[in-house]
Amino acid sequence: MTNKLLKILSSIKDIDGWKINEEKVESSELFFVKKQIDMNRGKRVHKYQVTVYKNFEEDGNKYTGSSTINISPNTDEDEVMENINEASFAASFVKNQAYPLVKPCDTVQPNMESKFFQASIAQWLPKLTEAIFKADNKENGCVNSAELFLNKKNTRIMNSEGLDVSYDSYSGQLEFITNWTEEGEEIELFKDIKFSDYNPDMIAGEVENMLNISKEKAMAVPTPSLKNQTVILTGSPLKKFFSYYFTHSNAQAIYEKISTAKLNENIQGEDIKSDLVTITLDPFLKNSSISSPYDNDGFPLQKVAIFEDGILKNYWGDQRFSSYLDIKPTGRIDNFIVECGSKSIDELKNEPYLELIEFSDFQMNPLTGDFAGEIRLGRYYDGNKVIPVTGGSISGNIKEAQKNMYLSKEMQQDNNFVGPKSIQLFNIDVAGN
Amino acid sequence: MHVEMSSFLTKHKENLKILVNMLSEEYKYVSILGVDTKGKTYGIQRTGVSINDSMWSERGFVVRVHNGINYSEFSFNEISIDSLSEIAEEIKNKLNNDLEGLKATSINQASYSIIDEDAIEKQFLSQVEILPETVSSKEKIERMTKLMNKGLKCSNYLLDFRVRYEEVHISKIFISNNKDLEQSYIWSQGVLVPIVRKDSITKYCFEGVSGLKGVEVFDELEVKYEEAVSKAVKLLDAEKIEPGVYDIICAPNVTGLIAHEAFGHGVEMDMFVKNRAKSVEYLGKPVASQLVTMHDGATAIESVSSYLFDDEGTLGTDTVIIDKGILKTGISDLLSSLKLGTKPTGNGKRESFERKAYSRMTNTFLAGGNDRLEDMIASIEKGYLLEGMMSGMEDPKNWGIQCMLLQGKEILNGKLTGRIVSPVIMTGYVPDVLKSISMVSEEVEIDGCGMCGKGHKEWVKTSDGGAYIKTKGRLG
Repeated sequence: MTNKLLKILSSIKDIDGWKINEEKVESSELFFVKKQIDMNRGKRVHKYQVTVYKNFEEDGNKYTGSSTINISPNTDEDEVMENINEASFAASFVKNQAYPLVKPCDTVQPNMESKFFQASIAQWLPKLTEAIFKADNKENGCVNSAELFLNKKNTRIMNSEGLDVSYDSYSGQLEFITNWTEEGEEIELFKDIKFSDYNPDMIAGEVENMLNISKEKAMAVPTPSLKNQTVILTGSPLKKFFSYYFTHSNAQAIYEKISTAKLNENIQGEDIKSDLVTITLDPFLKNSSISSPYDNDGFPLQKVAIFEDGILKNYWGDQRFSSYLDIKPTGRIDNFIVECGSKSIDELKNEPYLELIEFSDFQMNPLTGDFAGEIRLGRYYDGNKVIPVTGGSISGNIKEAQKNMYLSKEMQQDNNFVGPKSIQLFNIDVAGN
Repeated sequence: MHVEMSSFLTKHKENLKILVNMLSEEYKYVSILGVDTKGKTYGIQRTGVSINDSMWSERGFVVRVHNGINYSEFSFNEISIDSLSEIAEEIKNKLNNDLEGLKATSINQASYSIIDEDAIEKQFLSQVEILPETVSSKEKIERMTKLMNKGLKCSNYLLDFRVRYEEVHISKIFISNNKDLEQSYIWSQGVLVPIVRKDSITKYCFEGVSGLKGVEVFDELEVKYEEAVSKAVKLLDAEKIEPGVYDIICAPNVTGLIAHEAFGHGVEMDMFVKNRAKSVEYLGKPVASQLVTMHDGATAIESVSSYLFDDEGTLGTDTVIIDKGILKTGISDLLSSLKLGTKPTGNGKRESFERKAYSRMTNTFLAGGNDRLEDMIASIEKGYLLEGMMSGMEDPKNWGIQCMLLQGKEILNGKLTGRIVSPVIMTGYVPDVLKSISMVSEEVEIDGCGMCGKGHKEWVKTSDGGAYIKTKGRLG
């Protein structure tokens, strides 16, 4: 199919450029209910995505139009030709400011590292299965069900400028539910983890942690209504919380005026007395399922610093939007690392707090800065004792919250995010009982 | 105009039958679902235009076999008459190898009986007023550009006025030893997204239309731009809500979100198999006010998730989940029904041919009642009319609910005051919310612009909606 595509693309004189993204994916999937396999699935798919580009001028303005189509390997030549011609026609009135395609370069990018390369997918399945159920040995709790996905992927990116790069990678995903029963009804909690390397201790540790948290939830009482509360966010909500900064430093968001963040200004505001954010993007972050040496355009990726002590040092962006801002492109990098803060978790807990560990679905709206979530498990310390709580919700806005927040010294990794394990926020309203 | 079946699937139908026969020599049950979905997404905003294949576009196959104990599946997207023996061998080797290695662990396979199918041969081709291919992409973009320009003139606060249009043509074929099913249908949707800014405050909202329709959805979309801009501009003066429990009226899309999150996910019967659904304990018992009747089904109403058969070859139905407050039944995929000894309801859906089928919602809604919206507002001393669904999250085991909403319009002494709070998060215990429903409006509206995940993945197209309902809710 690749040769067929190249032949057809070179025969169409009407287009000014093209890009082919080719993916070959092989995977195995296991679905568990308790400690039994409910179903196994396998997959072998081969996919092509073709983008055609057309340069044109109107009223003295230069444009680069594009249109992207999916091509199945079984598509016959006539249909491929028809689809590409349609895309070419569509691209001729996609009025986007002109931009160049990524050009080939001599940079030698490192290969992706993973122990999964050392054996076949089938050989890893029993090892991963053992890791999932290693901690499932509690009297009052268990892994209710789990879904395991392990994908081996070959990615190739070519374009009309002569670029031709490829790499192999692995990605894994484990979704699991834990149950626990104390004196009341059985409760459940949900966890979804992604990875790219074989790390049985990480998997077993996540399951153990969720079982422990489930025990707490089984003992939890309804969250009280609280005004102007000191809140500590711990664990998975932080990836979404800090994604606000990731979005607001993006070249596309700047170009579209969604973000008003300016270089060399503090995104948190002036005279901030609490912790300031320092953020780096790292395309090679270990055990991230979306680490890659190139972005979707074939641009070679490297580590880049975005924020230092709250000051926006660099925008990040792909070739197109970087050229619009006339900045050096970084390519699209989806791994972000937030430096840890000034206080230990113990220090964050020196005064009364509501620590929130699990939400139904913590949401951060990157456009408005609003965040909110229904509490599935928290720990409320009223100055005398710590009690587990559940239910109710918190809401706030990061533009206010960031003026006074502390980041823990302890760190965590959640796939493509590395950052503090906890943060402390002030004056948050809690809707509870 | 009739929607045409995929010529790609028609061309390979005989190959699929041969493959089923080949695999049937090894396995006692074999089925193949073939999918060919073509779709385009058009977008226009101040800074640019996009015309790309829809995220729902796909072409491929998934084989399901009974492996002697339970079911295994294999997804692939390359097929030809010459490669059928090779594909059959690959399927057998891959599925057997993966299971073989697991025998060394303490994990065994759950057993499932063999699917017993009635012989059936059916075809469904939907109809739309205007087929997508009869209108060029140029005409569509021109129409969207005009709409954007009209929207942008409505307010000086507009940072952008984005217009999105998507058309998706789905063709599916299901072949097993007893079944020969084909279907082809089109859904389309259009969405307006005004983004407004005043000083450092940025707000936005959505206004959408959708249906088992073609390009004709443009006509419905084009009359909504002023309303959309007006709604977004008002949000700029929205205040923060004082957290608490209030009398509330839910607009149809909020009612739909509640129906979806509360008792849609809660009665997906694969959750029954895993003992993850509290609703099992309440079958035949009251879970809501007598005013509540809730449906789900591919044939329950015509919308974006209406079809002849699901992704396991089961014909779609109309399931009455709650009848006058009593929980009647759940919605089921085929394998869960095998396990539970119940009848499948045609709710086995896959994100794509590459993914597993689960019990999923289709078109989910609360049926209308006899009340009028103005009477509902007049009956509230202090509360909110909630509008605009942003997202939701289910909790089938413990019946919590999270609904992220765009806004609440304040009601004081039976009247809307004009004051708006935004955003609003509604949480609570599902039966408390449903049992508190005291008024239900006549009119029912269905929204099919969104999609539904299971947990945090497995996205499928669904619609939901209902009537205006008056109830109590905890807002924050």
